[in-house]
Amino acid sequence: MFELFSVTMLVLLAVVAGTAAGIVVVRVWRRIRNRRLAALAAGPRRSLLAFVADNGEEGSEDLIAIPDDAWQAALPAALGLLGKLRGDAHSALVSVFLHRGAARAALDDLHARSGVRRARAAQLLGDLELREAVPELCGLLTDRDHEVRVVAVRALGRIGDAKAAWRMIASLDQHDPVPSLLATHALVQMGREAEVVLSAALDHPQARVRAVCLDALGLIGATGAVARMARVLADDEVLDVRVAAAANLGRLGARGALKPLIDSLDPPAPDLLRAAAARALGDLGAPAAVPALAAHLDDAEFQIAHEAAQSLRRLGPPGQSELRERDNDHCREALALMQPELVNAQ
Amino acid sequence: MTRDYVLAVLRGADYAVFAYFIALNSSYLIMIVLASVEFAKHLRRAAFAGSDDMFRSPLTLPVTVIVPAYNEGAGIVPAVQAMTALRYPRYEIVVVDDGSSDDTFDKLREHFDLVEVPRVVPSEVPYESQVLSVHVPRGDTGSLTVVRKTNGGKSDALNVGINLARHPLVCMVDADSVLDPDALLSVAKPFADDPLRVAACGGVVRIANGCKVVAGRVVDVRMPRTWLVRIQIVEYLRAFLMSRTGWSRIGGLVVISGAFGVFRRDLLVAIGGMATDTIGEDAELVVRLHHYLRDRGEDYRVIFVAEPVSWSEAPSHWKVLGSQRRRWHRGIAEILTKHRHMVFNPRYGRIGLVALPYYLIFELLAPFVELAALVLLPLGLWAEAIDIGFAWRFALVAYGYGLLVSLVALFIEEVSFHRYPRWSDMLRGVVAAVLENFGYRQVLAVWQVWGAIAAWHGRPAVWGTMTRTGFDTPEPTPVETVGAGKS
Repeated sequence: MFELFSVTMLVLLAVVAGTAAGIVVVRVWRRIRNRRLAALAAGPRRSLLAFVADNGEEGSEDLIAIPDDAWQAALPAALGLLGKLRGDAHSALVSVFLHRGAARAALDDLHARSGVRRARAAQLLGDLELREAVPELCGLLTDRDHEVRVVAVRALGRIGDAKAAWRMIASLDQHDPVPSLLATHALVQMGREAEVVLSAALDHPQARVRAVCLDALGLIGATGAVARMARVLADDEVLDVRVAAAANLGRLGARGALKPLIDSLDPPAPDLLRAAAARALGDLGAPAAVPALAAHLDDAEFQIAHEAAQSLRRLGPPGQSELRERDNDHCREALALMQPELVNAQ
Repeated sequence: MTRDYVLAVLRGADYAVFAYFIALNSSYLIMIVLASVEFAKHLRRAAFAGSDDMFRSPLTLPVTVIVPAYNEGAGIVPAVQAMTALRYPRYEIVVVDDGSSDDTFDKLREHFDLVEVPRVVPSEVPYESQVLSVHVPRGDTGSLTVVRKTNGGKSDALNVGINLARHPLVCMVDADSVLDPDALLSVAKPFADDPLRVAACGGVVRIANGCKVVAGRVVDVRMPRTWLVRIQIVEYLRAFLMSRTGWSRIGGLVVISGAFGVFRRDLLVAIGGMATDTIGEDAELVVRLHHYLRDRGEDYRVIFVAEPVSWSEAPSHWKVLGSQRRRWHRGIAEILTKHRHMVFNPRYGRIGLVALPYYLIFELLAPFVELAALVLLPLGLWAEAIDIGFAWRFALVAYGYGLLVSLVALFIEEVSFHRYPRWSDMLRGVVAAVLENFGYRQVLAVWQVWGAIAAWHGRPAVWGTMTRTGFDTPEPTPVETVGAGKS
């Protein structure tokens, strides 16, 4: 028994000492590694910054000629710049990466066993805005790893090729889909070329898909889709989708959105939709909405009366005169936001 | 015969306490291992986490940062100033002045040029106090709102803030917290990555004592001067950073610190906001959230992010520390009493079967067992119920194993985040891990037992006074903490 106790104590002491030593070893190793990497990366980092400062006009040969180990040390900085740059400087840096064979290696890595490698490769291809990689990246939209799918969506958005729109929409209709907001942003980055696909997807059986497409249509300013969006506002069976339709009709600012939004202000429309419609009418900016909004300033539902008052304020003089005629907390709050000392920020 | 019986009972009790300490320290070690897996995953994925994309996206969910403040005049301006400079695409700050008797509001009004505006405060979540006025900076109605109300306590102040929040995510931050620039982006990111399931996300709180803070930013992390705070740093690493990350990994997180957490506003409204009948309102909120979502069979996640962080000032005096720990343990006792039907209840899944029983056995009862050991062990030796060999083994398990757990926590911190770059600071951390076992743990246990008993006896909750030394100024400034009990 005593021996067992002694052994236990020794093991514990050894583990404690080992852990303490481990802290020291890790710290020393980190210092040595950081010092080595800093020394290796110093030259390439200077070249990179000079290259970017020159808008990529000079110095690409120097960057291409950097030895592999020094380039690897400077890679985090180069990737950081690649993600942030736009325009000529970005194109020039992309050509450096392509000359160094980064695209080829990344395309190979899209099939790696490790999810981390696949995701890193997808991220790089997106940052390179490589259109040739779109079919491969679309394949990653159904990857087994959620994180890889997320990175693929971001990469496709960054590339902005509308050919990927339908695959991306389809990827929303699967188990454990990519986040809606992320997909919406990527679809918006594809621009007006994606409008036809997005508009057609408003008939998709998945509510989530319809909501994403509505948001994307609103954000890309797809005024041609107003009629279809108004139909969703009136008829969709899912409340969240109708609310999204209202918000995006307001965002589009098209005349055709006025009547469907006014129709949604009253019951039997649910309160959440009524409030969204009141807010959207303010976004729409049509003075013709003033009488309908004014009729809801005393609505029993706080949010509807509040949104109506705020929308009237945003509709300018006709709406504001309605606010002045009422003695109501919501009206007072909205009018206060027009005071000269506050209005500068509106 | 009676003596034999008493000795047998005494021996049994000593063995039971021995087994308890093995289980307790092993549970800590398991959490640290789980946390290290999570940290490794986090670090490997940092390159493609997409934080910059989130910052640039027009669709990133906007956040309302609620800052309850009670007599925070000493530091409220730099705190709010720093919060206005966070890296996040769209957010507003709502400071709720909970009836301060000092110059908290005057300082805010003077610095931010506040003007009063009429504002309708909805009652989506109940609050008991009276809102006196709402203020915004001249020429800016969107980024900062300051609400003055009668004193009603921290929960009540947060409820007013939730009512006034205009954004779908609500971040609760203490008025004395210093946030890393990317803290809001990190803690809101899980909502963007998994918006349908993430219900709440907690951020890690680290100790700012000793650190250099410039313009509301921690620019130089170092160990504080006093051993009392150094020990708390090791304790925070082990019990908060590692433990909560571990619990998050297995889907059993039940505590999100009131000093830094983000919640979906619609869920806060659905569950009625913060409870005003408990002093541990932050943990109670999370338990109630689990209760609500589990009852409805929702697929949801409550998660914890380990970096970046919120920095907070820890007590540097025993008296203040005692008050804090009594309050914390009282909170645990109140929550477990209030939600006792969830404990060991399979209906609540991992929360009911693992997390809450763990809190009952290894958090609430731990100080009782610690104190019992201090009595039972010498008694057993004196009565010869146990021998000296057992006593040694006991000490080794209770303190040696505890020291090992703390060192492993320091090791993981060193490998993952490396927040303390100085050799001397790391050495102090190791020494603090040793010192924690001699006096600190035992005194803490007394306070914790005191707090739990106060909860069961229904004594009125007292927040006490927090003496803030400030992050930059050496002059101590006595400031009361945010009031909960009509302080």
